[in-house]
Amino acid sequence: MTQHRAALRLRLASSSSRHSSSTRPVTLFLPSSSSSSSPSSPLHLSAKRIIDYVLLGITGKDFVLMAASKAAMRGPTILKAEDDKTRQLNKHNLMIYSGEAGDTVQFAEYINANISLYSMRNDSELRPEAVANFVRSELARSLRSRNAYSVNLLLGGVDPISEKPHLYWMDYLASLAPVPYAAHGYAQYYCLSTLDKHHHPDITLEQGLKLLTMCTDELKRRLPIDYKGVLVKVVTKDGVKVLDFDNDRIVKSA
Amino acid sequence: MSRRYDSRTTIFSPEGRLYQVEYALEAISHAGTALGILAKDGIVLAAEKKVTSKLLEQDTSAEKLYTLNDNMICAVAGMTADANILINYARQNAQRYLLTYNEEIPCEQLVRRLCDLKQGYTQHGGLRPFGVSFIYAGYDPLREFQLYQSNPSGNYGGWKATSVGANNASAQSLLKQDYKEDCDLKEACAMAVKVLSKTMDSTKLSSEKIEFATVGRTPEGKVYHHLWNADEINALLKEHGLAKVDDEPEAGDIK
Amino acid sequence: MSSPFDINGGACVAMVGKDCVAIACDLRLGMQALTVSNNFPKLFNFGPSTFLGLTGLATDVSTVSDLFRYKVNMYRLREERNIAPQTLANLVSSSLYEKRFGPFFVSPVVAGVNYTTGKPFICGFDSIGCIDFAKDFIVSGTASEQLFGTCEGLWEPDMSPDDLFETISQALLSAVDRDALSGWGAQVYIIEKDKVTKRLLKGRQD
Repeated sequence: MTQHRAALRLRLASSSSRHSSSTRPVTLFLPSSSSSSSPSSPLHLSAKRIIDYVLLGITGKDFVLMAASKAAMRGPTILKAEDDKTRQLNKHNLMIYSGEAGDTVQFAEYINANISLYSMRNDSELRPEAVANFVRSELARSLRSRNAYSVNLLLGGVDPISEKPHLYWMDYLASLAPVPYAAHGYAQYYCLSTLDKHHHPDITLEQGLKLLTMCTDELKRRLPIDYKGVLVKVVTKDGVKVLDFDNDRIVKSA
Repeated sequence: MSRRYDSRTTIFSPEGRLYQVEYALEAISHAGTALGILAKDGIVLAAEKKVTSKLLEQDTSAEKLYTLNDNMICAVAGMTADANILINYARQNAQRYLLTYNEEIPCEQLVRRLCDLKQGYTQHGGLRPFGVSFIYAGYDPLREFQLYQSNPSGNYGGWKATSVGANNASAQSLLKQDYKEDCDLKEACAMAVKVLSKTMDSTKLSSEKIEFATVGRTPEGKVYHHLWNADEINALLKEHGLAKVDDEPEAGDIK
Repeated sequence: MSSPFDINGGACVAMVGKDCVAIACDLRLGMQALTVSNNFPKLFNFGPSTFLGLTGLATDVSTVSDLFRYKVNMYRLREERNIAPQTLANLVSSSLYEKRFGPFFVSPVVAGVNYTTGKPFICGFDSIGCIDFAKDFIVSGTASEQLFGTCEGLWEPDMSPDDLFETISQALLSAVDRDALSGWGAQVYIIEKDKVTKRLLKGRQD
């Protein structure tokens, strides 16, 4: 097992050589989760593969469409087919999540409680950008602790002042990026190219749903797991609403 | 008799008063006047600088007006040393909020955090309250331009025009008389120097005696705050005929 | 096994010209080979003529830039003046070394023009704060090897702001085209004593 030394690269002030010097390795950052000692921190950074659920987010003219798969899995077993991986944080913000069982709900509850507390204390709700950065700062703090949360998130919201939709992509390392459309897990590989081709920033909700259907069709066609359909919610200036979505469409596999 | 109750901040007198807090308020009423006026397109803060001696080095930095963060400033009346502690506390809180939420702290929240600290000193024993009142001027996207005032008890409130420090009663009544709903920033500046000229000992003002700051919006719609320099203040005073003529002896000056 | 520096990808370069400096970065944010966002700037402004570029692990790019915004804002309020690039460099160095045994996985670059002396200044750092002063150019990120090559070939002393812009842009775009983990457009700042010009480069979108 090669030990990770990049963290300790030391460069001489005068030279521009970039070769790693073989200094004592930092034990905190041993590479793989198979390393024997201490509970694994996500900073083991083997780009770990946590159970993959489908998470999708699409922004449009005045809305954010969010979809999360309804299967709760453990290994190859489906434990539940009506799982809700969404959490409404305040009137105009919705979070959908996937990741290590336990961590997900625990982290979501914690964020949910804190955002609610903010609303109560200040008689005003946090705007989407503030929500995203709050969640990021909490996840980033946890990342440097001994047992960090392994949660991937999408945050969708509509700014109540400007009425503009916002969507944020965040992974378990707390990398945050504002994006027009996003996915997590395997859905990324199947859906992002579809979205690249067909997405426009000023699509209507109807067009957004059509786009979402194209994505789920693609997943049905190519993903070898039954994710038990998706739960679809939409955020607009009027709040969060559950949408009827036809999960029973038959799609012939390729 | 009252001596029994005023040595501790945490103990009510039989009449239900907190003497230390009242003494702090009393201390502030001797400090230089500071006032703030809310206009529809901005806010003006003005303060009287007490020049105690000609020998005092007039450094360039302000002594009564401070920047709290990118969209908030404040005027101080009372003990400057106490104010420095509170201002540092406010600045750190504003930056911490910015770090967590990546957006500027809403004005009222910052005022409240400061007041929570001030309140603590009226309740926890062994320490004296902060001898400072503040006038805050700020902007946030939700409630736009806002003006607040707070005192040593930890109370705060939002105002359209307010004043603290020496002669604040007369300043307050002048403001009440002259305040016009939806005045603009220029009119508010004129009102500020006028009120200040009446409440200060000398009727003729100069940039050495007052400090001036505004919060407003640029033509492009960007919010700015600006602590005025000596030339800008003198120009404003001249415009309103309140500038001191150089060789005119001043009341109290021994020639 | 990928290093934390190579997960998200990204590149940054700074160059010195005559009485001016330039700093540029790419815009990609990825997860290994998958591109997640093509609008993730890695340059941060800390005063009228002082910039910090950060490449490496995206989460730390955000954390570190936010942290320095806090520190530099407090510095500006306390000192009632802007931070000089030299001062920022030392702040970056000491702040990173504070985390010596649990570092931020970033490779920072500082570029700026000192507002009192008018002298250009650039420097780079490793992830634990060792400063690398340079009179010519500084590179960082997953395309740093490529950047060394292009900069070495294109850079010459005493370039005018326009020449510097051309040089840094060509150096960055050519370098990121040979790196799978960076690219997707670029941002360039040309910093002169009392003028900063920002330019966006389209670059290859693949």
